[in-house]
Amino acid sequence: MERAYGMIRAQGLTKTYGSKIAVDGIDFTVEPGRVTGFLGPNGAGKSTTMRMILGLDAPTRGSVTVNGHRYASSPAPLRQVGALLEAHAIHPGRSARDHLRWMAASNGIATTRVGEVLEQVGLDTVAGQRAGRFSLGMGQRLGIASALLGDPPVVILDEPVNGLDPEGIRWVRQLAKSLAEEGRTVFISSHLMSEMALMADHLIVIGRGTILADCSMQQFMVDHAASYVRVRAPQSTEVEALLVGRGLDVSRADGELRVQGLDVPAVGELIGSHGLLLHELTLVRSSLEDAFMTLTADSVEYHAKAAEEIKAGRR
Amino acid sequence: MSTQTIEKTQETPVRRSGFGHAVRAEWVKLWTVRSTWWTVVALVVLGAGLTTLVCWGNADWLASEQEESPGSFITWGMMIAQVCAVIVGTLAVTSEYGTGMARTTFAAVPHRGVVFLAKALVVCGVLFVVGTVTALLGYFGGNFFLDREGIGMALEGDVARAMYGSGLFLAALGLLSMAVGFLVRHTAAAISIVLATVFVIGNMVMLIPGELGDWITKLMPGNVASSLVAPVSFNPDALDAWTGFGVLMAEVGALCALAWWLLERRDA
Repeated sequence: MERAYGMIRAQGLTKTYGSKIAVDGIDFTVEPGRVTGFLGPNGAGKSTTMRMILGLDAPTRGSVTVNGHRYASSPAPLRQVGALLEAHAIHPGRSARDHLRWMAASNGIATTRVGEVLEQVGLDTVAGQRAGRFSLGMGQRLGIASALLGDPPVVILDEPVNGLDPEGIRWVRQLAKSLAEEGRTVFISSHLMSEMALMADHLIVIGRGTILADCSMQQFMVDHAASYVRVRAPQSTEVEALLVGRGLDVSRADGELRVQGLDVPAVGELIGSHGLLLHELTLVRSSLEDAFMTLTADSVEYHAKAAEEIKAGRR
Repeated sequence: MSTQTIEKTQETPVRRSGFGHAVRAEWVKLWTVRSTWWTVVALVVLGAGLTTLVCWGNADWLASEQEESPGSFITWGMMIAQVCAVIVGTLAVTSEYGTGMARTTFAAVPHRGVVFLAKALVVCGVLFVVGTVTALLGYFGGNFFLDREGIGMALEGDVARAMYGSGLFLAALGLLSMAVGFLVRHTAAAISIVLATVFVIGNMVMLIPGELGDWITKLMPGNVASSLVAPVSFNPDALDAWTGFGVLMAEVGALCALAWWLLERRDA
């Protein structure tokens, strides 16, 4: 049981709405001490999964536990799991301070924590203002304050950088990392790969309700970010013949050769050992964004049609 | 690994939060939105003010008319106070669904029955106290004018019962509105349903002919406790005070049971 502390564990977790399957029998474990990114396109099932973790939506099948038990059986849930749900899950007529006050009261959290977290998220000067006047970014900060209120070992943030300015985004990134360094479990959802690349140690990628990848960020790069060695050489025909002769996958584009199947030093040595000249030898890696797009291309629910496609359809 | 790492990954005993915490949270929630203050002020001013006004306007003919009792008039303004009670009860629930805050509530207190009970206790407690105080203020205001015509009533017996009876009736209406709020999760829909049931349908069923119509009229939630809330009911056929209140509680109780049952089963 103590091993489960700080862990979020889903087993065969399924949620259907009528005939539509939002989450399709997923298994995953989120571990303490690192930032786990929960990545997927809009409508992939991220928010549904997070609501099931918090016991707000009941799974159709399967289960999900936090700290080894169902969320609802926590003795004081806000002290064990802090969550930022979708932005503005807050009454617009209530001040930031009062919002945190009732939350603190509900779990027997000392009211001194209210001032502490307001200061931590930078809302202390506007704490008395009604939340309805807050910008999207300020609302996000208040949501993060409510997640931190109970000083919980598990922190769940659903799309925390939405609506934040660049300074706010950097702040969330640093906050997530420092929470993980303190040994907490940090589970963050996003539909932006670029954001996750800077923040997460571990990735769980979801598309159309199924897990597409569950690995460390490095592993994800190796597995999914395609790479090739770019070769520019004056005698490119000879170089191409040489490489193809060795059974390598070579393609020609923009006056360069793209070589797969051998690392940079080996390609260089091979070409050099045959006395051929080289102008450029570079390892080219596609971005994580590209890797993510490729991985989830089939699972994107709504995507813009290219202009040609639309024209073609009209004919 | 820092020392903090060790600290955070070890399970620390957490004091279980209980019903008292949930009640405190609901109390803070209720009084930290302006709508509550406006509605409660309106309840007191309209409830006590209209009773006073109606007694002032009718005192002289009541003194000469033997058919009508001043006891039917001494809590007159409470009819309007009922509307405010419906609004307080409904908003306590639907304002949370309208803003998505219900999810924050159920994340903080995952046992939905506890949320239901805590809200009910706070809303009913407040409405009982405010309702009783308003009825008393109306009594003092109205009886001043009745006294001048020599038809004043002492604050005892049925008159005293009508005071806390009014408080009880407002609390019951608040609870009814809460239950409807949990069922439909929408402010305008919930308020319309309750007001229509209590004030419109409650009066229209009188048009149903025969004994059936009489009984339906008597048993509608807005009418069933009419002997409780006034020393002398306008409706001479009304059930007696505590029987009527018992029936009202059974009706509200049944609706609450349905709301609770669904609350436990639906996604937040």
